[in-house]
Amino acid sequence: MTEQHLKLTRRTLIAAATVAAVLPGAAFAQSNTYPSATVTFVCAFPAGSGADVLVRFFSEKVAQVSKQTVIVENKPGANGNIAAEYVSRAKPDGYTVYVHSGTSTAANMSLFKKPPIDVTKALRGVQFINKQPFMIAVAADSPIKDMKQLTEHLKGKGGDATYGSTATSGKVLAEVYLQLAGVAATEVAYKTGPDSLNDIVSGQLDFAALDPVFALSQQREGRLRLLAVGSPQRMKSTPDIPAIKEYGLNVDQLGWWGVFVPAKTPDDVVMKLHDLFQSVLEKPETEAFLNKFGGDVYTGTPKEVDELLAKTVEEWRGYVALAKIPQN
Amino acid sequence: MEVFEHLATGFMAAGTLENLLFCLIGTVLGTLIGVLPGIGPIPALAILLPITFGLDPLSSLIMLAGIYYGAQYGGSTTSILVNMPGEASSVVTCIEGHQMARRGRAGAALAIAALGSFFAGCVGTVFIAAFGPPLSAIAQQFNSPDYFALMLLGLVMAIVLAHGSVLKAVAMVLMGLLLGLVGTDINTGLTRYTFGLSGLWEGIDFLPLVLGLFGIVEIVRNLENPPPPRETISTRLRDLWPTRSEMKDAIPAALRGTGLGSILGILPGGGAVLASFASYTLEKKISKNPRKFGTGAVEGVAGPESANNAAAQTSFIPLLTLGIPSNPIMAIMMGAMIIQGIQPGAAVMTTRPDLFWGMVASMWIGNLMLVVINLPMIGIWVKLLSVPYRLLYPAILLFCAIGVYSTSTEPFMMVLMIVFTVFGYVLFKLGCEPAPMVLGFILGPLMEENLRRSLVISRGDPMIFINRPISATLLVATVLMLCLIIFPQFRKTREEAFQEE
Repeated sequence: MTEQHLKLTRRTLIAAATVAAVLPGAAFAQSNTYPSATVTFVCAFPAGSGADVLVRFFSEKVAQVSKQTVIVENKPGANGNIAAEYVSRAKPDGYTVYVHSGTSTAANMSLFKKPPIDVTKALRGVQFINKQPFMIAVAADSPIKDMKQLTEHLKGKGGDATYGSTATSGKVLAEVYLQLAGVAATEVAYKTGPDSLNDIVSGQLDFAALDPVFALSQQREGRLRLLAVGSPQRMKSTPDIPAIKEYGLNVDQLGWWGVFVPAKTPDDVVMKLHDLFQSVLEKPETEAFLNKFGGDVYTGTPKEVDELLAKTVEEWRGYVALAKIPQN
Repeated sequence: MEVFEHLATGFMAAGTLENLLFCLIGTVLGTLIGVLPGIGPIPALAILLPITFGLDPLSSLIMLAGIYYGAQYGGSTTSILVNMPGEASSVVTCIEGHQMARRGRAGAALAIAALGSFFAGCVGTVFIAAFGPPLSAIAQQFNSPDYFALMLLGLVMAIVLAHGSVLKAVAMVLMGLLLGLVGTDINTGLTRYTFGLSGLWEGIDFLPLVLGLFGIVEIVRNLENPPPPRETISTRLRDLWPTRSEMKDAIPAALRGTGLGSILGILPGGGAVLASFASYTLEKKISKNPRKFGTGAVEGVAGPESANNAAAQTSFIPLLTLGIPSNPIMAIMMGAMIIQGIQPGAAVMTTRPDLFWGMVASMWIGNLMLVVINLPMIGIWVKLLSVPYRLLYPAILLFCAIGVYSTSTEPFMMVLMIVFTVFGYVLFKLGCEPAPMVLGFILGPLMEENLRRSLVISRGDPMIFINRPISATLLVATVLMLCLIIFPQFRKTREEAFQEE
């Protein structure tokens, strides 16, 4: 008993010292012992998927800075609804943490007729992870060199064009671009980037809206040419790829990842968790890792996460209507 | 002779004491995972992934790869002994392998599976070294219409898998296709046939389906008609080994299986599964004595086992040369490489030749280790069959339940498993076999996706399937296969051969 007690105290001291270093002043007011037991990160994707790798990377890093075991629990299904609902109903003690795409969490509010939870009310934000845009790609040997030429090409085809998309974010990016450029193309949906590669490279598809991990890896392999990113500015990690906005089309689509806990989690626990993630996000290896996933590190206060989540929910109501995505 | 130089580089890199140790850990872990029904290699790899963060990149990849083919290997052990396929590619091994075990030839079946896999692994390694890059270029030529045609050919082959009537086999394939429709429609994002159950959104899970249909139904069957009391199982080495005539049948089958598997493994999506089914079909078609298929034909174990192991090896080709993972396991390997700061793709071969060739060499070393570990264990595995049923069956049920629950931690998956057990029992009573249904279930969604994509790309013109040489060739092969099945005389002999069981 005594030993256990001693250990706990020492850990608390170390944790408090860490927090104090990061956030002077604010830290000493919050003298709780969190985290003092195993923390569970909930991942809404199946084990082994690209997103699962990201969650597991953070579980490893947070375990290092918190000196606690962090396990990853995969709760895939229903586009992330199952995981979000599971977290919202967990005990609000900071030991069940949802590491997921904030964009997707917000989008589900519009993609479903009856979303199981109101994410802005049932969850609260802790920290951001990254921002990553979807990308517009063509085959590496395509005559189309930039977005202007792509728009011209699609105009020439007069609505007879096709584009490949992976995930709802890809579809929405493409549809918003088509709408603003005043051209048309039919969507061909793919489950994953690799599924679409042969059809893009052979020129069967006129263009594709792809996730950054896949798009960048295939650009490096010399099979794809990336014309633009969907973010309002160029990304720090990919300064050579222009933003669609530079062509005068007001596309502002930046996917982001965040950390969420049940809404009733107390402030001090949220702040402690926020600081743990902050220290992980400041590490150079984290930046290198996230850049490989085609995104930039992104940090913010819990309040900023809540605000962006609410804003994203509203934006997606418009996108879902614009892209004419049927609701489940 | 460049190939040998490359392989020498690889053996130097993989042959260090440290890497040999990680290879051993990986293969042993993989075998254990494969033997425990339900705990598949995918969750196991994902859980072990963080452990590899701190390791040298080559060591971590060697260990993860070892788990993968170790699990492939262990999966066939449970298929043969207790009719329980842990993953799709060992479904076929159940058909003949378990029959062999029922005839008291479990040892021989295990030995043949081990040796066939080892041989296929050796060939697969050389194959990657010699033809990796050019072959991946061929795989890149496959577009949506070609995949559709390939899946269609696979489904027609599935009909040949069954032993009973053609009509029942066709019905089973169609049933599998229908089950494959459940889930989210990729084009619209709307759900189909889910009855409002969120557990069905991603489609019916493979594990509860296959464990219910095969493993648990087998238990129910045996409880209904208790098999005759088994003679004391001999564990003398002489009785565990395949006889000379068994070896004579097995060797050519293993050769053919290796060839088929090496080629099909390169294709993304279901390569290893198709390989084992295709090899079984081939063996049954060319056999002089097709009558013995279904009663424990040695070729039906040697061929598919070699094929799936060869395919497991060559499925690394698209990842290592194109940076495209061909199945979920390769996707985890890709994640492991990215975490280690290596971008998978052709560049790895030139920038990190020690890593590339080291991994290729480690596959051969790993396969050798598997044989060395497993051949002496055959006696122990076979002894497992002498465990009384009253202990064996509850244990199997327990492992199935844990396996199914642990993959998703959803109680709903248990319900699914029970549903498929009942369904499998009804099928058994009706004399319908589940293997063609499983193939329909796996290939159906892939076929549908590619059919719809092709037609959207061609703006609704079905000529896209005939204009492309690859898909046209595959469609002709499909038609020929269908003719073989429908051709009356063939049908007559086929029914004579199989109706009497």
